[in-house]
Amino acid sequence: MDIVFSRLGDNEARFVLEGVSDGFANSFRRAMMSEVPTLAIEDVRIYDNTSVLFDEILASRLGLIPIRTDLSTYRLPSRCECGGAGCPRCYTVYTLSVEGPCMVYSGDLVPRDPAASPVHDRIPILRLFENQKLVLEARAVLGKGKEHSKWQPTIACGYKHYPVITIDDRCDGCGMCVDECPRGRLANGKGKARVIPERLELCLLCRLCEKACKRGGIGSEPAIRVDEERSRYIFNVEGDGSLPVREIIKEALLHLKESTRSLLESLDEIAGGTSDEESE
Amino acid sequence: MIPVRCFTCGKIISLAWEEYRERVEGGEDAGTVLTDLGLHRYCCRRMLLTHKELVKDLNPYQ
Ligand code: SF4
Ligand code: SF4
Ligand SMILES: [Zn+2]
Ligand SMILES: [Zn+2]
Repeated sequence: MDIVFSRLGDNEARFVLEGVSDGFANSFRRAMMSEVPTLAIEDVRIYDNTSVLFDEILASRLGLIPIRTDLSTYRLPSRCECGGAGCPRCYTVYTLSVEGPCMVYSGDLVPRDPAASPVHDRIPILRLFENQKLVLEARAVLGKGKEHSKWQPTIACGYKHYPVITIDDRCDGCGMCVDECPRGRLANGKGKARVIPERLELCLLCRLCEKACKRGGIGSEPAIRVDEERSRYIFNVEGDGSLPVREIIKEALLHLKESTRSLLESLDEIAGGTSDEESE
Repeated sequence: MIPVRCFTCGKIISLAWEEYRERVEGGEDAGTVLTDLGLHRYCCRRMLLTHKELVKDLNPYQ
């Protein structure tokens, strides 16, 4: 297995993963999306809401606000010593008290733990008009994306096969494929189309270039061919800011490791049990 | 109210809403503004493009 990063920022990563199966690539993607926990507002106690929004809509909007998460401070309620009853290790509290007329922003939430503040201060929550008021207390807990998407640490997170483009000798440099490519992947040169190497990874595998070539009357087979390289993937991972992308990747891999280990253990138990019986 | 996130990919598109509305009302081209604000995927672009702010209209009927 080989991994080469072409971009690794706080909120975005792009890398090429090589030498794995479709199954692994997909479990990796799903682990990043739904097995890495983040904080999100789960319970809201509303003391006063005279705004135009219903309490339920308001609570849903609060839940979708990404919150900076420190995985070493917080635990999943199901894994906490308190047994899920609620303690400072598994939840944190925010208070909000605003009077209109004004716009209420995510920055108006006052966190008990300053390290667990909303990622952005300027997310509009709702508009208050004259004589309207909003007073509430919200509780955020760790959760996983497979339960609710508000706990997903990733935004867009996906992969595609590595593109392989071959242009054969029948190419006459008519340039139709070049005009057709939506990603500017191709260029014309010396009477023959060619691939621009820096733009190779942008290819969408849409095969519009093949179609354009055939339309040019070259025969039933186009001179340009787009193939996918098996077992080589381009990953694109975007985070919502609650966790750095580096940590999302690390936690997802740890999750995969942990689940294969527990599978191996139970296999060992079963296999170990039978072999013992046989030896007796 | 503008949805907090894009329905499809989950990007926090609500951050861009106020600037988007101001600039488009000021006569700028909506497509250019969206690109400027870093909304490249069409799922996110349609969120702002097709949004209608209703809270003001609803307010008198509280
Ligand atoms: S498959 Fe699509 S994106 Fe890739 S080179 Fe051909 S036209 Fe361009
Ligand atoms: S459309 Fe076909 S023949 Fe024309 S430049 Fe592209 S590959 Fe060559
Ligand atoms: Zn606890
Ligand atoms: Zn989107």
